[in-house]
Amino acid sequence: MNPNIVEVVNVSREVAWLPWAVQYFFLIGLSVGAFLLSLTWYVLRWPAWKRVSRIALLGALTCGMTAPVALLSDLHQPGRFLNFYLYPNLDSWMAWGAFFIPLYLGGLVLYSWLALRPDLKRLANAGGRGAAVYRRLAYGGHDSLGAIRAATVFALGAAALVALYTGMEVMVVSARPLWNTPFLPVQFFLTAVAGAIGLVLVLDRGVGDGTAAMDAPLLRLLAAIQVLVLALGAAWLLLGMSGLSPRHAEALAQVAPSMAWRITAVWAAGSALATLWLAVRRPQWRLAAGLIALHSAWMMRWTVFIGGQGIPKTSAGYYSYTLPLGHEGLLGIVGTAGLWIAILILLISVLPWGGERRAGA
Amino acid sequence: MSDGKPSSTRRAFLQAIPAITAGLALPTSARAAPGKHHWAMLVDIRRCIGCQACTMACIMENAVPENSFRTIVSTYVVQQLTAGRTTAGTYMLPRLCNHCEDPACVPVCPVGATFKRDDGIVVVDGDRCVGCAYCVQACPYDARFINHATNKADKCTFCAHRVDAGLLPACVETCVGGARIFGDLNDPQGTLRRSLNAAKKNGDAIKVLKPEAGTRPNVFYIGLDDRFRGRVEGQAALWHPTSHGA
Ligand code: SF4
Ligand code: SF4
Repeated sequence: MNPNIVEVVNVSREVAWLPWAVQYFFLIGLSVGAFLLSLTWYVLRWPAWKRVSRIALLGALTCGMTAPVALLSDLHQPGRFLNFYLYPNLDSWMAWGAFFIPLYLGGLVLYSWLALRPDLKRLANAGGRGAAVYRRLAYGGHDSLGAIRAATVFALGAAALVALYTGMEVMVVSARPLWNTPFLPVQFFLTAVAGAIGLVLVLDRGVGDGTAAMDAPLLRLLAAIQVLVLALGAAWLLLGMSGLSPRHAEALAQVAPSMAWRITAVWAAGSALATLWLAVRRPQWRLAAGLIALHSAWMMRWTVFIGGQGIPKTSAGYYSYTLPLGHEGLLGIVGTAGLWIAILILLISVLPWGGERRAGA
Repeated sequence: MSDGKPSSTRRAFLQAIPAITAGLALPTSARAAPGKHHWAMLVDIRRCIGCQACTMACIMENAVPENSFRTIVSTYVVQQLTAGRTTAGTYMLPRLCNHCEDPACVPVCPVGATFKRDDGIVVVDGDRCVGCAYCVQACPYDARFINHATNKADKCTFCAHRVDAGLLPACVETCVGGARIFGDLNDPQGTLRRSLNAAKKNGDAIKVLKPEAGTRPNVFYIGLDDRFRGRVEGQAALWHPTSHGA
C-alpha cells in the first residue's frame, strides 16, 4: 500500500453473487462428491463400501435437489430462467451449466432409482399403507447391475461436466486474479469430495448407525484428500511467492496485505491439518473430522466468492462486507439449509437409508 | 454540433482545436466499418475539477438508484515531495464503462443480453437479462452493478438513447471543466479525432485503464498517472455509499 495516496471518493461495489451462490457451489459440489462415493457399492460392488454408498446416495440426492433452488435464487431475475434455454450464448460457461445441471440431476435420479429398486420392492413386500406405491415404484424390483452401469455412465459424464463447468465458470474471470488460476477447479473438486466424505460421516451418525466408515477405508480417503488439498495450497503459495506464475503472484499480492485474508489462510490450512490428524489418528472422532471437512468445503467457497468480491478491481483497499439478514444474505444460507433438511426428512421417511437391517422396520 | 450528431463537448467545440491530418497513429477504429459510427470518449484529466457534475447528471438522466453509479469521479489525495517540501494535491479520475473493443462482459453473458452495438456502444438488453451478474464479475473495471430497482445488470451506455437522438451523453453535456470529449472515432473532422490528434501533436500521452486486461477500451485519457491505471495502491476510500435498502 502506498501511504501517499488516500482514496477519498470512489464507488464501492457490493457483492453481486450472493450467499445463495456460495450455497449452490457448496451443495452441487457435495452432491457430485457424494455421487462418486456412492459408486463404490452400487456400481463397483466393493462390499466394504456398501453402507457408505447408501448414505452417500442420500447425500447426493438431498444436496443435488437443493442446489438448483439456491442457484435460481441467486439470479436477480429468477422468473426469467427460461432465457437460459431460449437464448443460450455458448461462449459462456454459465450457459453450458444451465444444460449440465438438469443432465446431472436427471442422471442422478435415474441412477438412484435403479440402485434403490430392490429396497423399494422390500418395502412393497413388507405391506402396509404405501405398499402399492412402493410396488409401482419398484417396477419389478430387480437389482439390475447392467442398467445401473448404463445410468452411471450417463450420470458420471454429467457429474464430470458439472464439476468442470463450476470450476471453469469461476476460473475464466480474469478480472479477479484470485479466481483466475488453473488451481481453482481442482481445489473446488478436492474440497467437494472431502466435504462429501464429511457429509457421509455426519449423516451416518444421524441416519445410519455411525459405523459405516469403519468397514470402508473412508477415513484414509479423507486423509489422502487433505494431503492433496494442503499440497495444492502450498504449491499455490509457492508459485505466488516465488513469482514463477505472475497470475498467482498477482492474486497473492491482492490478499497478502490483509490481516483478515491471512487469518483465513491459516484457518483453512489449520482445518485441513486438523481433519488429516483426526482421520489418521482419531478414527473414533470421525464425526468431528466430518464436520470440519464440511466446514472447510463451505468456507473455501465463501472465501472465494464473498471474499473475492471484496477485492476491488480499481479501488484501493477492500470493500467491506456485512452479511445482510434478508434475501441477499442470511436468508440464502438459512433458506437452503432449511430446504436441504426438509428434503432429507422426506427421503428418510420414505426410504430406508440406514442399511438393510432397517429396511423392513 | 453538425448533422445532428454529437461531435463535441461545448467547451472543446468553442475552443476550436485546429484540425490535424487524419489517420495518424492514434487509437484507430479497428472494427467499425467505414461509414459507421464508432463512439468513444477522451477524458482530459487535467481539466477535471472533481465537481461530480457528471456523476449527478448521469444519475438524473438514467435514473440510477441511490448508491449506485454508472460514472463517478474517483478522487485521491496524493502527497509528494516537491523541492524538498511535502505537498498534497488532489487527483481526479472520471470512471465509466470503457465500451471496450474486446469487452470481457460480453462473452460471459449466458443469454446474450450484453452485446456490443455496431457503433461500438456496449449495452444490456434489459428484456433478456436474467440478473446473473456474471458480467459484473467479468468486467475488469468494476463498471457494472446490479440495479436494485430493475434487478438487471446496469452500467454506462454512453447515453445511447441520447446519442441515437443526436445528443451528447449527459455527463459530457454537463462537464464543467470540459474534460469529457465524446465523438466518433470514424469521423476525421469530428472533435474527438481532432482532440486526439491535437494531443498527439502536443506530445500528450493518450492512455487507457488497465491495458494489460486486453479489453482495448474506447475511453481514452490524457493526464493519466500510471499509479492510477490499474487497481490503486493506496489507503482505502474514506467514503463509501451507505448500503442500499433491503
Ligand atoms: S468496461 Fe467493463 S462493462 Fe464496459 S465494455 Fe469494458 S468490460 Fe464491459
Ligand atoms: S446479469 Fe444480465 S447482462 Fe449480465 S451476464 Fe447476466 S444475463 Fe448477461
